[in-house]
Amino acid sequence: MQGGSSGIGYGLKYQARCISDVKADTDHTSFLTGTLSLREENEVHLIRLSSGGTELICEGLFSHPNEIWDLASCPFDQRIFSTVFSTGSLFDIDLPFYGLKMETGLIVFFAGEGESYGAAIWQIPELYGQLNSPQLERIASLDAHTRKINCVLWWPSGRHDKLISIDDENLFLWTLDCSKKTAQVQSKQTSGMLHYLSGGAWDPHDINAVATTCESSVQFWDLRTMKKTNAVERAHIRNANYDMKNNHILVTAEDESGIHIWDLRKPKSPVKELPGHTHWTWAVTCNPEYDGLILSAGTDSSVNLWLAPTSAEEDATSESIVESPAQQAGPLLNSYSDYEDSVYGLAWSSREPWTFASLSYDGRVVVESVKPFLSRK
Amino acid sequence: METLSSANLVTARVAVDSVPDFINGGPVKVPCFNQPWKRVPQLESEEVHLIELRRRRKKMKEQKMGAEDNVPLDDKARRMRDLLSSFYAPDPSTNNAPSNPGTLDAINTSSFDADQYMNLLMQKSNLDELLQRHVEMAAEIKNIDTDLQMLVYENYSKFISATDAIKRMKSKIVGMEANMEELLDKIMSVQSKSDGVNTSLFEKRENIEKLHRTRNLLRKVQFIYDLPTRLGKCIESEAYVDAVKFYTGALPIFKAYGDSSFQDCKQASEEAISIIVKNLQRKLFSDSESIQARAEAAVLLKQLDFPVDSLQVKLLEKLEQSLGDLQLKTDYIENASMESNDHKLGKVPDSVHITAHEGSIHGFVEAISAFRVIFPDSEGHLIKLAQDLVVKHFETVEQCVKGRISCANLLVVLRTIWTDVLLVDEVLSEAVLPGFSLEAAQNALKQYVASTFNYLLHDISDALLRVNVSSKEAAEENPLQVALEASKKALLQGSMDVLLDFRQLLDDDLGLLVQLRDFVSDWVQEGFQDFFRALYDCFFLLSGRKSSSSQDQGLTAGAHGEKVLAGLVLVLSQLSVFIEQTAIPRITEEIAASFPGGGARGYENGPAFVPGVMCRIFRSAGERLLHHYINMRTQKVSTLLRKRFTTPNWVKHKEPREVHMFVDLFLQELKETASEVKQILPQGLERKHRRTDSNGSTASSRSNQLRDDKTNRSNTHRARSQLLETHLAKLFKQKVEIFTKVEHTQESVVTTTVKLCLKSLQEFVRLQTFNRSGFQQIQLDIQFLRTPLKETVEDEAAVDFLLDEVIVAASERCLDPIPLEPPILDRLIQAKLAKWNEKNPITP
Repeated sequence: MQGGSSGIGYGLKYQARCISDVKADTDHTSFLTGTLSLREENEVHLIRLSSGGTELICEGLFSHPNEIWDLASCPFDQRIFSTVFSTGSLFDIDLPFYGLKMETGLIVFFAGEGESYGAAIWQIPELYGQLNSPQLERIASLDAHTRKINCVLWWPSGRHDKLISIDDENLFLWTLDCSKKTAQVQSKQTSGMLHYLSGGAWDPHDINAVATTCESSVQFWDLRTMKKTNAVERAHIRNANYDMKNNHILVTAEDESGIHIWDLRKPKSPVKELPGHTHWTWAVTCNPEYDGLILSAGTDSSVNLWLAPTSAEEDATSESIVESPAQQAGPLLNSYSDYEDSVYGLAWSSREPWTFASLSYDGRVVVESVKPFLSRK
Repeated sequence: METLSSANLVTARVAVDSVPDFINGGPVKVPCFNQPWKRVPQLESEEVHLIELRRRRKKMKEQKMGAEDNVPLDDKARRMRDLLSSFYAPDPSTNNAPSNPGTLDAINTSSFDADQYMNLLMQKSNLDELLQRHVEMAAEIKNIDTDLQMLVYENYSKFISATDAIKRMKSKIVGMEANMEELLDKIMSVQSKSDGVNTSLFEKRENIEKLHRTRNLLRKVQFIYDLPTRLGKCIESEAYVDAVKFYTGALPIFKAYGDSSFQDCKQASEEAISIIVKNLQRKLFSDSESIQARAEAAVLLKQLDFPVDSLQVKLLEKLEQSLGDLQLKTDYIENASMESNDHKLGKVPDSVHITAHEGSIHGFVEAISAFRVIFPDSEGHLIKLAQDLVVKHFETVEQCVKGRISCANLLVVLRTIWTDVLLVDEVLSEAVLPGFSLEAAQNALKQYVASTFNYLLHDISDALLRVNVSSKEAAEENPLQVALEASKKALLQGSMDVLLDFRQLLDDDLGLLVQLRDFVSDWVQEGFQDFFRALYDCFFLLSGRKSSSSQDQGLTAGAHGEKVLAGLVLVLSQLSVFIEQTAIPRITEEIAASFPGGGARGYENGPAFVPGVMCRIFRSAGERLLHHYINMRTQKVSTLLRKRFTTPNWVKHKEPREVHMFVDLFLQELKETASEVKQILPQGLERKHRRTDSNGSTASSRSNQLRDDKTNRSNTHRARSQLLETHLAKLFKQKVEIFTKVEHTQESVVTTTVKLCLKSLQEFVRLQTFNRSGFQQIQLDIQFLRTPLKETVEDEAAVDFLLDEVIVAASERCLDPIPLEPPILDRLIQAKLAKWNEKNPITP
């Protein structure tokens, strides 16, 4: 329970899984988050950290037609973001929403055998603060999927008109034109038999490299040829994240076996292992500014802050005594365990890189500062 | 009175001056000397005076001597002498100058003024004094007079004697010249005659000399012609020393004339010499000859310019061959060990036969000492040879060490080596063999220690790996327990045995080992340290959690394969605990008792074996392995659950008819875990107590308060939240700590496993969307799980809570969460239970 009450809290109405840093907003530290409620009207919240850094203010509240499984903010336009959503069953869907969708007619439902998934690019309307009930403007639907969509990726390093969406089997590369409000499939690749994709990460150092996670490995793709270039064999990878500072470094989170740091030039064995969480390690993300600073979120209702520089020198702190649930003392800087439920959402602020937002399943956003731990570096 | 004395003084002065002049041969100043004949009567009359004077002087001298003896010189005498000396002094003025004419003492100075003196005297003295003065003065004057006279006489007597001498000389010198001339003539004639003789004899003498030289030459030639026969005789009588002497003497001649005049001779003698050389060589090589003889032979051969080096090399080769015999064979070691066993059995040590080795080492030592005498400059080779011997010995030792030799055997071997070394050292101390072998022994022992620990490690990993085999056979009832016990025993017993072995090394009084004692105890300590580190690595290797550092250790990886039995991990974990709690303290004790810290390492490095660090390492290893075990178990369940939840289409699920079979599999898995755990881990002693603890209000009340704060804070935001209800409901329930610290007890491990599995179950449920039937299915499955889980688990509250959570999660993810009617639920569960009991009649 160390540092439990230092965070700034914000409550969402419903359960939620995903939170994203609004990178394009250079004036404020803001986050986007969307709720995951099967039976209620879902919302997208634009949250802003007050200038004093003591309060989280709801800057915008927009209704979203479906429960949001994934949300990503556009790195070059603060008003644009993408969501992946599911509609539940066609047969059991609540009528008002259904009706709404039928009216707009923009979403093409693909008829799965039960649940249906969709992905879309949204734009927050201008002057949203002055409108009574601001509506999100749909820029484009990524409607080429036939399977359960997992995530939509933006290139994290800057303006790029391409998008990637990943479903269970396929990897799609889209060309997005915001002004024309269109998104077109540029290329598509099937991951192959028996590889159920679960997510992915776009290399911030290489515009043509994408990593996708599947049941038994991490696969690396070259977007120009849409060919697999490399693979790291590792089971049950939940989440992967490229190190923003160091090329070739990928951090993965696995259900049972914690966090692994890979040097992609040596895919046989990880560079480093971190014990992760008591239960599953769900998400992992590297700090965009500070080298080796890694956050992980787990289903044991905690967020761990690690310091694991990948440079050659070994941490000399391995001798100290442990009292946290993790067994290895050295790399673990802090464990934020003041959560009521599993933590699925995690995002560093790119504007204030010592700040991160975490989102637990019960809909609580907590923004914490890691400043007290930076001095240890 | 004064004038008189001064005049007297002047004459005396002339006399005294003239004496040395005459003696020096200068012109005689005294006028009467020029006419010696006139002086004779004068001299005669004077002679009487002189005799008289001499007598008086003698008397005076005697008196004076007496006075000097008894009292200091009286005034008179001193003044007298002063006067005399001042008179003779080179510069009379210096003496007189300082005297003051105004005093009475001025009487003796040259500037004496009689009138003044008289006046002074008259003024100063009364009558009596004047009278006395007069008397004194009269006496003085009389004295001076006599002295003066005496001096004059003395001078005269000297003159007289001088004239006498001159007179005698003159008479004798006359006529000498003629004699001298005669002598010169005679000498001349003698010289001319001797020259004549010399020239007449010269020719003859040269002739004689020539003849003599020819004779010598002829004798030499004779010698050379005789040489072959002489050599032959020498060979017969084995007088090789003479033979060589002769030959070397003749050699220069052979060199000069061997091709011409003495060809035959040379050949013959060379033949003889070659025979001699052969004989000498034979002598040199024959062991039966005495060492001196052989050494002599070597020296002779060297004198004959025979290439001794090649001989030396040959002999060395021979020695090297004998070295081959010395090589310790492994079977020899076995023999030795048998002997040592005999010792142990109490057989008479005398019965130990002198082995071939001992014989050959003695031979070797003798050979070396002989060799040294024969070739005094061969030390280098010999040292190399001896060192080779030691090196070979220790190579054998190293081979033995590789082949898992017992300590006793090692000792026997080392002892043999040491005796060898000492023997060789006696004859060849320059080789510093003890030091050399000490180094080698150091290496060998180090290796021995290392390999011993290596074997110990192997033993333990073998004992552990037997789990795999035995569990495959499934013959034994509790394979894990057996493995644990076996490995515990292997570890403890093995360590103790190792310590005992090393103890033997320490206790042995072998010189070699005594010096290495400190090192040995250091190595043992280091060895344990390294051993435990290696064991730690090995554990993780076996457990399949390859830490990057020990990846290519290859110790057991090959035999092991990639599939790791979860049970093995559990055994390893428990073994770590055992090591931490029992083995390390015991070993520490043992080390402290029998290996008093070797100082060779230096204190700044600290002790080699740090039990505290090791305990900590193994404590953490125990925990990590336990976690790993739990992880492996939960992972299995996870796969099961993953399949269960990803495969069916939950949105189109059909009505539940029975409890799904994944529950069976899950329980099966748990049962397996429980049985493994039961074999290995101890039962939690304070079970009841801890349960109340975890339900206790202290911790939960605190967290409740925290939660209240938070709820208050966020209340505004979630005022309308529907979730609030559930959250509030949760609030009033006790906060359940799901993830507590795992302990090394059966209950703790099983409980943790169950908790983690249920949490996974919840997470899987959260990822799905259910229709009513799907939800009901989950409800049914969970409901069924409740009873058996509670039975196996220590923390019922937590499990209950987690099971509820799963149902809550399912209902949240359900489009139409209407639970099953309790009667239907009951009926389905009963049906399942009946089936369950049928299958497993023992379990309730």
